Amino acid sequence: MPKLIIDDISVAVPEGTKVIEAAEQVGIHIPRFCYHPALGSVGACRVCAVKFLQGPFKGVQMSCMIEAADGMVVSTTDPEAVDFRRHVIEWLMINHPHDCPVCDEGGHCLLQDMTVSGGHGMRRYQGKKRTYLDQDLGPLVQHEMNRCIQCYRCSRFYQEYAGYRDLGVMGIASRVYYGRFGPGTLKSPFSGNLIDICPTGVYTDRPSRYKGRRWDYERTPSVCIHCCLGCRITVNVRYREVVRIEARYSPTVNGHFICDRGRYGFFYASSDRRPRKARSGGAETRPKNARDEAAHRLEEITARHGSGSVAVVGGSRSTLETLAAERRICRQLGWQGPSLFTGTEESAAARRAAGHLTTDLAVSLEALKNADLILVAGADPINEAPMAALAIRQAARNGAHIEVIDPRPVTLPLEYVHRPAGTDKISEILRGLGKPSTEDASGDIQDLAARLDQSRRPVVVCGAGKIASERTVEQAARLARNLRRAGKKAGLFFVMTGANTFAACRMAGDPADLETLLLMIEDGKVRALVVVEADPMSEYPDLARLVDALAKLDLMVVLDCIDTETARAAHVFFPTQTFFETGGTLINNEARIQQARPAFAGGTPISQTGGGSHPPRVFRDDIPGTEALSAGQLLMDIVSALSGGISRSVEEFDGVAPEFSGFDPVEATGERGTWAKLPLRTAAGPDSPQMGGETPIKKGELLLVESVYGTEALSRSSPWLQELESEPALTLHPEDASRWGLQHGDRCELSTEAGALTVPVHTSRSTAPGTLVLPRHRRLRWQVFQHFRSGLDTVRIRKTGGEGA
Amino acid sequence: MIPEPTLSHLKDRIAAADHPRELVVDVMFALQEHYGYLSDEAVETTGALLGMSPLQVEELATFYTFLYREPVGRYVIHLCDSVICWLDGAESLRDHLCRKLKIEMGRTTPDGLFTLLPVCCIGYCDRSPAMLVNRKVYGPLTPEKVDELLEKLKQESE
Ligand code: SF4
Ligand code: SF4
Ligand code: FES
Ligand code: FES
Repeated sequence: MPKLIIDDISVAVPEGTKVIEAAEQVGIHIPRFCYHPALGSVGACRVCAVKFLQGPFKGVQMSCMIEAADGMVVSTTDPEAVDFRRHVIEWLMINHPHDCPVCDEGGHCLLQDMTVSGGHGMRRYQGKKRTYLDQDLGPLVQHEMNRCIQCYRCSRFYQEYAGYRDLGVMGIASRVYYGRFGPGTLKSPFSGNLIDICPTGVYTDRPSRYKGRRWDYERTPSVCIHCCLGCRITVNVRYREVVRIEARYSPTVNGHFICDRGRYGFFYASSDRRPRKARSGGAETRPKNARDEAAHRLEEITARHGSGSVAVVGGSRSTLETLAAERRICRQLGWQGPSLFTGTEESAAARRAAGHLTTDLAVSLEALKNADLILVAGADPINEAPMAALAIRQAARNGAHIEVIDPRPVTLPLEYVHRPAGTDKISEILRGLGKPSTEDASGDIQDLAARLDQSRRPVVVCGAGKIASERTVEQAARLARNLRRAGKKAGLFFVMTGANTFAACRMAGDPADLETLLLMIEDGKVRALVVVEADPMSEYPDLARLVDALAKLDLMVVLDCIDTETARAAHVFFPTQTFFETGGTLINNEARIQQARPAFAGGTPISQTGGGSHPPRVFRDDIPGTEALSAGQLLMDIVSALSGGISRSVEEFDGVAPEFSGFDPVEATGERGTWAKLPLRTAAGPDSPQMGGETPIKKGELLLVESVYGTEALSRSSPWLQELESEPALTLHPEDASRWGLQHGDRCELSTEAGALTVPVHTSRSTAPGTLVLPRHRRLRWQVFQHFRSGLDTVRIRKTGGEGA
Repeated sequence: MIPEPTLSHLKDRIAAADHPRELVVDVMFALQEHYGYLSDEAVETTGALLGMSPLQVEELATFYTFLYREPVGRYVIHLCDSVICWLDGAESLRDHLCRKLKIEMGRTTPDGLFTLLPVCCIGYCDRSPAMLVNRKVYGPLTPEKVDELLEKLKQESE
């Protein structure tokens, strides 16, 4: 550990630490533009100059380029260094416009801060400034090249860190230009990070353009709920409107970055289509009336048919608090559920995964970056958990071997080996690899087995839900455990289906899934449904069956913060608060428990109540649009109105999940405290023997999959992300395509007994033969296939467009 | 469209290279040879040949002085814009050239004959001030010698 002295403070740092980082450890923030902890040093901007007084280097040097060494004495305040930095800033400001008041970066601009703190308050340069034409980079990122100070952060992030190739640096000398080959939407699903890392206003957030300065915003640390990873975010709210999401640094979860789904998926929270009023029989009503009505009708139904005739359906976008309330109610009132999963297989796979994820095996995104071999099995990181792809890329950049076993045409921004295997083959391959001796491994996986054998920090990334089966999950866990037994620092990283799937595994009741519950509705056992923050009508793969079943119900009560088809079909509907308003606890895919505080009090945005002008000048003692309560609270209110109901606070976990009681709330800012992992007891685990075999695939199978935009329940209503969606298509292997006389670019009709849809055909050699891949896209009526994985014996394919159609 | 022989020759060379990307400048020059300048299409073709995105090709294309991303005149004059030539009057020579051709640096004469561009030291400091015309070096230059040369080139082109 080299020891050095910086501004009279001595500090010991690990080998390889740069002086700029060493200074940070003793609280000295050396100015920087090009240096970024995630991107490393390049020495491009010269603003981090400090003076080396003693040691191997002498004089003014760049603190980001020099590694701390024993005996160094460094001054950041030496007049020579201060003067050097002042000149660098003046020089960078030569071409920079002097119009901060009209720049959206103003107020959180590193260049502003450095210019002022560097002592450059007066412009001396009188010449012409270099100017550029800007490019249209799409709906998310605004481009203003005149503000560039050539730090190279953007191109380094975009190409080196994230692995996308359509933005970079062109030109030379005073013509250096950062942008695309031609105007057009950025292709990377991580493009929004440009906004956070550019130290000036070249890239700014387009949807929130001119909505306010940073100091105008209510800024709250929170957690992203658009996939299972739970990246940390900062929520920006102004005038009761969520206007912007920024990445929030977390050393263990997401690092410095987030994906664009997480950054731009929040539109639902302040949308003018958000339901704000309770409804009964389709007509708006007062919350109390709706509550009385729901309670009254529930009471009637239970009186007539018994308490088991009511069921709760929930989902993985609810907080732990809401899920616990659902569980408590079902337990104490004898209701069915809560059914928190869509299908039986999905629920089995997810719960088995949760049961296997012991503290020693679970790895964070950060640990994933340090793996030396990553085996992705039955998961499609970019589409299911985007930041996982970015972490896998960092591992690859550090030399890790990456191998993907999946039937889908998985694309990752890195070099990897893809084995397109059918869903039923994945577990077999994993089992082959998991055998104690690699000699047993069959020929084509021997190479991978040998690599695993040599690896020291292998991680198995495994899907656990709609595509990867329970058996795959089981084999992935066994493989990871065997590798650990073989003395490796092996890890297991599950890609779950929702933000709080882990908690759902813990809180699901009986039946755990809607598929099983439907049987109970169909045979008349269940007569009333309370649907909490879930939308079966756009999530269940067999819509016709679902609609028939729902029609048999005497009552459907829906609680949700978005306007869904299910909500519209409800007899009684209650608007709920979003996660931004409730805060709450989420458990991410590595069983990390994360809590967020409410970001704001909710209510209809002033931009809507005022219709774009001043808010209405009416005095009232409440905030308009705040009838909504948290779903958990609402549930408690409804049942407490039942005779024999329960009245408890939603924050109480005793009785339903004692491991969470006495659980100490911590703000979403730190890493300490309860930002820990808890061993969770779930129904399925290593010791639960009963497990279904692989569903045999008949004549191939059709997979209904997730895509980065257009499938996730909340973000799919974002108009900015909708602009980025590509037309959902059927993807299959070219040889399969020719079986049906199809070619890339044709259109085809897929039909089952339940209905038909028409989509473009894409062919890809990296799709497993026999597998058809279709996104569960909001623009498709895909709920005709009955299962997320369905045998092709029930599907008809017919060419409807293209050559020879 | 690039003629098939050129294209297949390039493809062969790329196939034989250990790291195809190291040929990117050669490919760009070959295509520039064909189009007279490095057109957008040439940038895209280069990318397709080498497995690079057009942007990645553009990053390099716009870095090199002798790759022209816009159409240029028949004679491309690169006037040395570095320290030894400055000492020997390159700046007044530049003014002279601009006056004579009635264009600014970086432009092409309306008749399409001359393009005037600066270049960093071309290694002929012993003949400063120096310039290149279609890659051929001239120097040490005086306004008279420049006039003579321009006249000669004009006549040649007729
Ligand atoms: S655009 Fe921003 S991030 Fe990129 S080089 Fe310029 S100042 Fe740096
Ligand atoms: S990777 Fe998932 S949790 Fe992270 S920002 Fe994206 S959607 Fe949100
Ligand atoms: S931060 Fe060190 S040179 Fe830019
Ligand atoms: S400075 Fe002009 S040729 Fe070297």
